[in-house]
Amino acid sequence: MMHYYDPGTQSYEPGKDGLNPDFDSFSRDLGTPPSLSEELVSISVDGRDITVPEGTSVLRAAALAGINIPKLCASDNLEAFGSCRLCAVEIEGRRGYPASCTTPVAEGMSVTTQTGKLAKLRRNIMELYISDHPLDCLTCPANGNCELQDVAGVVGLREVRYGFDGKNHLDAETDSSNPYFSFDPSKCIVCSRCVRACDEVQGTFALTIEGRGFDSKVVASQNDPFMDSECVSCGACVQACPTSTLMEKSVIDAGQPEHSIVTTCAYCGVGCSFKAEMKGDQVVRMVPYKGGEANHGHSCVKGRFAFGYATHEDRIREPMIRDSINDPWKVVSWDEALAFAAKKLKDTQAQYGRESIGGITSSRCTNEETYLVQKLVRAAFGNNNTDTCARVCHSPTGYGLKTTLGESAGTQTFDSVMKADTIMVIGANPTDAHPVFGSLMRKRLRQGAKLIVIDPRRIDLVHTPNAEEGLHLPLRPGTNVAIVNALAHVIVTEGLEDQEFINSRCDTEAHNTWRTFIAEERNSPEAMEAVTGVPASKVREAARLYAKAGNGAIYYGLGVTEHSQGSTMVMGIANLALATGNIGKEGGGVNPLRGQNNVQGSCDMGSFPHELPGYQHVNDQAVRERFEAVWGVPIDNEPGLRIPNMFDAAIAGSFKALYVQGEDIAQSDPNTQHVEAALKALDCLIVQDIFLNETAKFAHVLLPGSTFLEKNGTFTNAERRINRVRKVMEPVAGMEDWEVTMALSNALGYPMHYNHPSEIMDEIASLTPTFTGVNYDKLEQLGSIQWPCNDEYPDGAPTMHTVDFPIGKGRFAVTEYLATEERASRRFPLLLTTGRILSQYNVGAQTRRTSNSDWHEEDVLELHPSDAELRGVKDGDWLGISSRVGHTVLRAKVSTRMLPGVVYTTFHHPSSGANVVTTDNSDWATNCPEYKVTAVQVEKVSQPSDWQRNFVDFDKRQQSLLKPAMESEGDSYANALK
Amino acid sequence: MSDQQLNNLIKMLDQIIANNLHYGDDDKVTDVAADHLHKFWARSMKQLIIAHADQSPEELSGLARSTVIKLKTHINR
Repeated sequence: MMHYYDPGTQSYEPGKDGLNPDFDSFSRDLGTPPSLSEELVSISVDGRDITVPEGTSVLRAAALAGINIPKLCASDNLEAFGSCRLCAVEIEGRRGYPASCTTPVAEGMSVTTQTGKLAKLRRNIMELYISDHPLDCLTCPANGNCELQDVAGVVGLREVRYGFDGKNHLDAETDSSNPYFSFDPSKCIVCSRCVRACDEVQGTFALTIEGRGFDSKVVASQNDPFMDSECVSCGACVQACPTSTLMEKSVIDAGQPEHSIVTTCAYCGVGCSFKAEMKGDQVVRMVPYKGGEANHGHSCVKGRFAFGYATHEDRIREPMIRDSINDPWKVVSWDEALAFAAKKLKDTQAQYGRESIGGITSSRCTNEETYLVQKLVRAAFGNNNTDTCARVCHSPTGYGLKTTLGESAGTQTFDSVMKADTIMVIGANPTDAHPVFGSLMRKRLRQGAKLIVIDPRRIDLVHTPNAEEGLHLPLRPGTNVAIVNALAHVIVTEGLEDQEFINSRCDTEAHNTWRTFIAEERNSPEAMEAVTGVPASKVREAARLYAKAGNGAIYYGLGVTEHSQGSTMVMGIANLALATGNIGKEGGGVNPLRGQNNVQGSCDMGSFPHELPGYQHVNDQAVRERFEAVWGVPIDNEPGLRIPNMFDAAIAGSFKALYVQGEDIAQSDPNTQHVEAALKALDCLIVQDIFLNETAKFAHVLLPGSTFLEKNGTFTNAERRINRVRKVMEPVAGMEDWEVTMALSNALGYPMHYNHPSEIMDEIASLTPTFTGVNYDKLEQLGSIQWPCNDEYPDGAPTMHTVDFPIGKGRFAVTEYLATEERASRRFPLLLTTGRILSQYNVGAQTRRTSNSDWHEEDVLELHPSDAELRGVKDGDWLGISSRVGHTVLRAKVSTRMLPGVVYTTFHHPSSGANVVTTDNSDWATNCPEYKVTAVQVEKVSQPSDWQRNFVDFDKRQQSLLKPAMESEGDSYANALK
Repeated sequence: MSDQQLNNLIKMLDQIIANNLHYGDDDKVTDVAADHLHKFWARSMKQLIIAHADQSPEELSGLARSTVIKLKTHINR
């Protein structure tokens, strides 16, 4: 736990909670990182006594005492470097002028930060810097926010005796290749902060200092343009730069922001906190917030830069309706649109019955919005036909962890990884899909933690610069359970179990049953080698590495859940953690990496058809009665339809109307042609979204959604952290998403009245046992809260299951391996697996409308050189990919990331039709689709598939039906601006 | 009801049973499977599979038939 010095008390309290609600305290740069030592040291700085942890630098101690020593190369998110020498001080009894950033405090030390000699030294240094720096401060984009300028002022620089005619770097050319920031080396003071940020914070090591002495300069990769280099555009270097050398183009264009608001990123499940830096109602830049407990001031290319979609011209700005999907859209008032939607829903129920309609909540919207949608379905629709896109990603996590550990959530904080000795990553790609956490993981790996990666692909994490190579187990797609059983077999048969933990914390009968099963020879690595393709010796090595680690942590993603045995695999992972006692302590745990920003929250909020908020089953009468008392209506005691069941029922004709908030099921769900048939079969599809997404092309009512910048609420990230989302601009159509759902409910005749999302959260807290202590005041006070937050855990619970489990004892589960029905054959000899890449996000609706597409303009099919050679394929060839359900065409990319026989693609572009080939096979327990295993054949082709040609035609048709409406709303928007 | 919808329900039921065969005893397996249907399947799905089991029992495996009979008991409780 980090400790913060409290200037009010002038003393340091070991163990004091690090949460700090004062945003301004995080805007100060204390020069060097905090020391985590529990030992305290007292020193005097300019006569002020200060007590700080041992190992703290003099520079930081002085800053904590309120004395800001000038500095340029130091920053408190980077290790001390000691190159600029501006932070020189005098220390009683020591010779010379030591750099305060690299000098640790010592008991009784007496430091002087300002003397005549120090002043002269600092001026001399600044004189040298400025002699090789353009004096264009008034027109410089950093004007008003330049550390070099500030320090020149602080040291009292009045003249540059060397003149400006000597050898210099003022003619160095600017590199503008990156779409988001420029690199102007003429402004560079070679402080190395960018290089160190790339190394220490991001862990990419893309930047270096090339040359020596006067010729030293910052270069990307092998002196390449930034865009062609290994740079991943995380923005850490831009943030670290003390001048305008690395500068956001948005700031160059707009000027420095004038106010900022702290909010939460709406991309992946890391849930980074950002300062939205504004001019009026325009976002100038998003700067990662140092006080964010999930990201500690770091960011990735999506959260940092890809926010332009919020003001994209494609935004839907007014409600629209139409009777048929072949009709043009008609712009109408909110009242008319809602009345139209309500009438359609009521008429449908009158004709086809109460259960003929349903809703899909969004894992991108806030907790409050998600809660309202499921409430609308249960209370106003009168059934439980509510589901969320977590169905197609982490529903097996909910089932598997609830069965074994008693709670449907990850057990740790992100920071816990810094105490892990062995990190096991299964079916996840953190450096692409959860990049900020990926960087933290890499930091721990550089400190010496061991890495095991279980994945058909060789992900980037396996080779982390300046860390030991990870142990990669490249298993065949679909054999997860076989390998987790083999790992457990080694742990059990080699006596690596934590008996004390098992005896005290786990159900004995369940353990005995599991132990007998797992010890059977058929589960051994040797027996499973033929199934998984992974050499038994590697599996044994991995099992020993994990079990003997001390702290063993497991992180997993959709490569675990999106299988026919997704739930079984989640339970297998929990078994491993229980068997080795890696639950209930920092550095261990079972950690699902959630794909979207609020997957955890959407599940918590009762989006699933069988569970009310807080994972309370609908057939529990006592639970229903509590909700009925507050909602004022009876709640159905039978589960509702899940998304795939809705599709089947729609095609069968019994499910006729659907309300979809902020999801694009037509692109993201498997077997696209089946999904399209279901959507076409609906009498009424109501889509609430920020764009005309693929699903909206089948809709009859289009309700404008609001981006995360346009609303208040909360998101819950993968570590159960509830973070505030704060409105920084008005919603383009005048209503936040929760207001739209509320208005729809009122139009249906079920009254909802909330003045602010905080009131919705109060209702959630009153009905959800794990949220009873959550409210907006506490969120403001603490910054964020990790649920459970109730009488037992008043400030939340960073680590779960420290004493017991919600089900009492941990329950081992028997995890019999069953091969999927989706097997390679002569007709379909390859196995396709899908995933995502760094620059694009999910269906791409947001990132495709930003310059992130510069990195990934289209989805490609990666295939192994031997499979490529067999088919005469080379990079860039068009490849037809056929499965038993569909056919699509993508360009080839030859890659050795996968084993022969395995091919890989992403699904970020709708025209790719990646899900045209994925099947509707699904997890046995939850119906989560088996995206990760599709048997396919691949061959060279010369034209797009039939589906792709139809897609282009349908898209053109739907865009033409939207165009008149967009133009009319554009006119009214322009008039409103006048 | 469509053939596809019914086929999917039968496939799901068979999958649930297959993933619980490790309980060994048929009675226990069908108990667990029926409980799973009870907890996670929508009313309409339950009605469809029960109707199918009544009308065409020969199209279901023995364990699937037993599971559906137990599901009926759940509903009638």
